[in-house]
Amino acid sequence: MNLLNLSIAQMFDFAAPILFAALGGVVSENAGVVNIALEGIMRFAAFFGVWGAFIGKNPWMGLLWGLLIGAAVGVLHGYISVTWAGDQIVSGVAINVVAMGIITYLLEFVFKTTGYSPPVPYFGAAHYRVHIAFISKIPVLGAFSNLTLLVWFSLIAVGLIHFMLYHTVLGLRIRAVGENPHAAETLGVNVMKIKWFATILGSVLAAFGGISLSLGTLSSFTNAMPMGKGFIGLAAMIFGKWTPIGALLASLVFASAQIVQLLLQGMASGIAKQIPLGFYLALPYLLTIGALIGVVGRAVPPASDGIPYKKEG
Amino acid sequence: MMAMDIFRRIFFGHKEEYWWMKILVPITSIFVALIVGAIFIWSTGRSPVLAYKYLFGASGLVPGPYFKQHFAEMLLSSSMFIATGLAFAIAAKGGLFSIGAEGQFLVGAITAAYFGYAKPFASMPTVLHLTVIFVMVMIAGGIWGAIAGWLKAKMGIHEVITTIMLNWIALYLIEDWLVTGPMKANVETGVSGTPYVSETAKLPIILKGTRLNISILIIIVVAYLTWFLLYRTTFGFEIRAMGYTLIYNMDAPRAAGVSVDARITQTMFVSGAVAALGGAFIILGVLFQFPPVFEGGYGFDGIAVSLIGQNEPLGVFLAGILIGGLRTGATAVQLAHIPKTFPSIIEGLIVAFIALQELIRYLLMKLFVRKRNNTVSGGSDEKAVSGGVAK
Repeated sequence: MNLLNLSIAQMFDFAAPILFAALGGVVSENAGVVNIALEGIMRFAAFFGVWGAFIGKNPWMGLLWGLLIGAAVGVLHGYISVTWAGDQIVSGVAINVVAMGIITYLLEFVFKTTGYSPPVPYFGAAHYRVHIAFISKIPVLGAFSNLTLLVWFSLIAVGLIHFMLYHTVLGLRIRAVGENPHAAETLGVNVMKIKWFATILGSVLAAFGGISLSLGTLSSFTNAMPMGKGFIGLAAMIFGKWTPIGALLASLVFASAQIVQLLLQGMASGIAKQIPLGFYLALPYLLTIGALIGVVGRAVPPASDGIPYKKEG
Repeated sequence: MMAMDIFRRIFFGHKEEYWWMKILVPITSIFVALIVGAIFIWSTGRSPVLAYKYLFGASGLVPGPYFKQHFAEMLLSSSMFIATGLAFAIAAKGGLFSIGAEGQFLVGAITAAYFGYAKPFASMPTVLHLTVIFVMVMIAGGIWGAIAGWLKAKMGIHEVITTIMLNWIALYLIEDWLVTGPMKANVETGVSGTPYVSETAKLPIILKGTRLNISILIIIVVAYLTWFLLYRTTFGFEIRAMGYTLIYNMDAPRAAGVSVDARITQTMFVSGAVAALGGAFIILGVLFQFPPVFEGGYGFDGIAVSLIGQNEPLGVFLAGILIGGLRTGATAVQLAHIPKTFPSIIEGLIVAFIALQELIRYLLMKLFVRKRNNTVSGGSDEKAVSGGVAK
């Protein structure tokens, strides 16, 4: 594969965790539930994915474990913020802090190590990749010839969620609940049920993101995970104006900024070599702010986003 | 009853029915979190009794062996948590969800390091030197916060996204440019990171034989000033009005003539300036230089501290003491074969129960209000319960 294709493929690898997290945010915030616990859920899923793959000796078991823990954390978030109308942000912060402590604890408890888990079977291994041999020589298109399953899942998820949100009754209800839950209730929509559904689906998507960190391109859990990817996902969701397609584009922008940084750093000569590393590393984040100023302008969330819903009467 | 009334007036300054819930909810949350934490330890086959014995024994919160040392260390780390906690609380009062304390803390730290060692300042007398440093630290941190505020006010970019971005930008520019480049210590001295600050820039010790310095006194004053700013000034009144009407796009204060845009930027400036103080404390009182690898996290813990303290200055102060104590005791829990991140599980659980405060309120109301009503008037308990829960 040539450099272009390799870079594009790498971009998709970088984008997948961010994209999953952003999609999780899109689903749950369209139903009016802010989920800043994405970061914590990714951490839970990244670890449990590795734990599952370690015990089951294959990544599918890891995927299952990761998704289950993601759903479980989603239930917790839903119980606090939907059932008891607790502050969604407070609940999210709580989950993030708990994730920080509990996973470090479990890492020591399960693997008896402090920084890394031992390597486990992962989706990046050659026989888990999707080979499409005949396009591998074509520029750009060739990038799609050897992607991991998880990257394909992330791209398929964009289509599915777009379809669900804008072309099904369920999606209409989700968006109605996010815009005006009281009106939706009047029309006979079960607001609580919809919010619960969106919260759990959002958490499961974030869990996919966590798994693509630890079982996607790497084959182990490192204690620094997810290194702010959940928050970047949140940013991608806002950047993408709370839509799945927008989230995809935003994730690709963030990921390509990282690729550009790597390329610039590698190929820099002359004056470019004099530029300190810090500027290259900060570049993706500067680009994001720049893009937000120039491209996006005012980002408008769903009208009832973050407001706990309480039934009247 | 009289004493309770005075207590309420002093600490809350405003009348509210069931105001004691604001105190009882966090306290209940803390106890329940400790119980759940114990169950967790027990379920992994370790001794919760031993864990808490070591944790609180070394926390500086309860008397015991080496209490003086632990107490000093506790106050030392608490002052940083209180700084970032207050920073979050100030923004939250104005309806802004700032996750930027982490970056502002770093900006404060690097500014303190620079003005601590830079030549023309290093020869000043201590009082003057520290004054210069703190003024510069607050300006730098304030500007870092105000950028996010300005971007929200003028460009409508959500503060969550900008503060996250600014955190990363601050981290990379400081760690991979300033500390390894222009501010690098002379190689021959064998120091990695920035040079050490001069003697005149070190915070004076207030408890002999420990590292405890004036940072705790400074933060007490700052906490009081924050309360004063929020509850006794027009500025505070206006930003609280913004916070209350957040879900209506702050239309009411805008209609009432509050220049909301300017207030947002100013609130973020104040918030950033206070968070940066924490960064100055760690440099001038603990590390004395900006190290090559900085162990952060104070900004994120500040969010938890503020939430546990119900975003009220006094509450933030007490919560900061608690979290500082738990962190100080953290290394000791390793004696019970428990990782030292255990306290952050407790911290997260407390916040989780704070988030569940509707449930806790409901249960507490059931517990207390019914009893009182039964003894005093009886009968109308149902009304009292639902009235309390519906806020």
